[in-house]
Amino acid sequence: MEKFPLQVNELEKSFRKKLGLSSFKAVDSISFQLSHGEILGFLGPNGAGKTTTIKCILGLLKPSNGKVTLWGLHPASLQVRKRIGYVPENPDYDDTFTPLEFMQMFSSMRRLDMSRERMLAILDRVGLAKWENVRIRSFSKGMRQRVSLALALQSEPELLIMDEPTVGLDPAARKEFRDIILAERQRGASVFFSSHLLSEVETICDRAVILSKGKKVVEGRLDDLMRTEDHYRIIYRVSDDEPEELEVEAAGLQKSIDDLRGQGYSIISVNPLYRSLEEVFLSATGGGGI
Amino acid sequence: MKLTVVILISAVLLSLACKADYDIEEVAPPEHLGTDHHDELDECEHEDAEHVESDHEHEAETAEPGSVHEESHEIDVSEISGSNRHVHDAGQRNHGTGWFFNQPWAASFIWGKMLRDSLILLVLAAVILFVSGYRRKHQ
Amino acid sequence: MKPVMTFALMTLRNLLRRRTIWGISIVILIALFGIGQIPGFGVSNEGRFILDFGLFGLEIGALLLAIGLASNIYPRDREQKTVMPIIAVPLSRSQYLMGRFVGAAIVEAAAMLVGCIGLMIILIMNGHAVPADMLPATGLLLVEGWFLLAVVFFFSFWTSPPLNAPLTTLLFIVSQMSVSGFIKLFPQAPGLMRTLRLFLPHMDVFHIKDPIAHGMDIPGLYFFLAALYGLAYMAFMLSVALAVFRSRDLK
Repeated sequence: MEKFPLQVNELEKSFRKKLGLSSFKAVDSISFQLSHGEILGFLGPNGAGKTTTIKCILGLLKPSNGKVTLWGLHPASLQVRKRIGYVPENPDYDDTFTPLEFMQMFSSMRRLDMSRERMLAILDRVGLAKWENVRIRSFSKGMRQRVSLALALQSEPELLIMDEPTVGLDPAARKEFRDIILAERQRGASVFFSSHLLSEVETICDRAVILSKGKKVVEGRLDDLMRTEDHYRIIYRVSDDEPEELEVEAAGLQKSIDDLRGQGYSIISVNPLYRSLEEVFLSATGGGGI
Repeated sequence: MKLTVVILISAVLLSLACKADYDIEEVAPPEHLGTDHHDELDECEHEDAEHVESDHEHEAETAEPGSVHEESHEIDVSEISGSNRHVHDAGQRNHGTGWFFNQPWAASFIWGKMLRDSLILLVLAAVILFVSGYRRKHQ
Repeated sequence: MKPVMTFALMTLRNLLRRRTIWGISIVILIALFGIGQIPGFGVSNEGRFILDFGLFGLEIGALLLAIGLASNIYPRDREQKTVMPIIAVPLSRSQYLMGRFVGAAIVEAAAMLVGCIGLMIILIMNGHAVPADMLPATGLLLVEGWFLLAVVFFFSFWTSPPLNAPLTTLLFIVSQMSVSGFIKLFPQAPGLMRTLRLFLPHMDVFHIKDPIAHGMDIPGLYFFLAALYGLAYMAFMLSVALAVFRSRDLK
């Protein structure tokens, strides 16, 4: 059986402060894994350690402790790099090149045998159809993000690592990005998706990991995270009228049901209440800003 | 830390191996240094007494590359800066021109050392490449 | 090899699209042209003067090109974060360094060749013969330039571009000194100075402008050994630079 596309065990990363006399922990003993074909949301306030973790995953930073493996291998190994696509936060590529030149050079560097038509198709897919021969010097932040996505998709990666990929995009472009990510999952890719935009994570992710001050504070399936065990919603009907709702605490649930039945009402459903991801986030991070 | 140790060891090896024996003045055999003429004209050996003061030739004092002794040619004194100096053919030792022949191209006795140092440097480069690659893989 | 060559080509195109290289090349050509216009200052042979100063100009040009081309490549990549997606996915750190180095080395070679041809044209225009060893002599200066490129890359992993230039220039200057000359810099501690000198290359190996200007014959074996020495030192510097780069975090 193949190992997890991504496994992070007790990852710790400290940075020395000036003069090396003291250090601070940017990431403190976090562990999680990403399964095949899964979209994992990676959340946390600014400075929580998200980008540091991603850099450790990509082999750009050396962990102070703990271990990161991709398919059981070292992040910087060639076998790993062949199988991943990376969309960085605020990419700033060499702006003297055009998107098509980038596609050609990256495909050559990755030893991919790609036709020009295939490259143009990928550029078309990310919305750069008419811009393939324009130097990216004149591109907006959002368009550079599209170049970045095109380069990441080039090798049909088995794992997409995305660091704030939709920052700077307008709502329509965000929707396009979401569709592409879902289509990639459909193809069989796993996606590691770091974002500030909780609504997006809520829409596309299967699971989420929330960091705060370098530590993992929450991890789980979104359904489980958003469902609250301490509040329930009872839907009941009074004779032939429209159904009515009642929200009660878990402790008083049975008493409320008994009372309603005692009054002759019929109980239609009893379900746990769902919180928004934002509420989950705020309670997990102690109300820290996003 | 380990890398620093590797670099230090490499530096020590380099220092032990690539000695400063390129300093030709220090390591040149006596026959290379020879006996340079001094500026006093009366110490010069003139082969041709008919030559004027500014136009005489000297025996090549060493058999260095390119320093083959040739017949001198007439030189217009007026073109020479400080025209009371005398001139020798190119490639021959002259008054105060030791520096010219104390360059590596003219000192064949250090060429073997250049080859030795080149090989040592290549081996060191390979060792450093291997060690740093090994460290990165196994970190 | 293919990824390195592709990245080298990318570096080459990038450098050519920036203005630095053209600025340095124009300065070198103007300097060479200027040397051709000076009537020799009374030196017996104007050709010697042009050759001597022209090759000296190319030597300084090799230094300036190395600094101008390479001192800002890695710091800019790091500052603009362009290094991240490149190293994270298509290239290893060694391929990145080699690609950048080879790209800059090709530009340096082209610029030196243009400088050499320019010097030849100036000699011919002034009615002087072009010595047969001029091209190999320029080749040795190019090897020196490549070694300096490796030094600049090495420093760029440690320091900022404003520090890189003086450090490389200092190394260029002191590496031309003999042991005795180096000791004279600080005669109070001759042992220390002698030890320090051991770590520096012998740049005078690459400088043969004097014998060429004097029309002397230099054996082919010497060119071969000097080039080998320079390339070996360059490989050593690159391996140390890579060891440093491999150990560094890309924050």
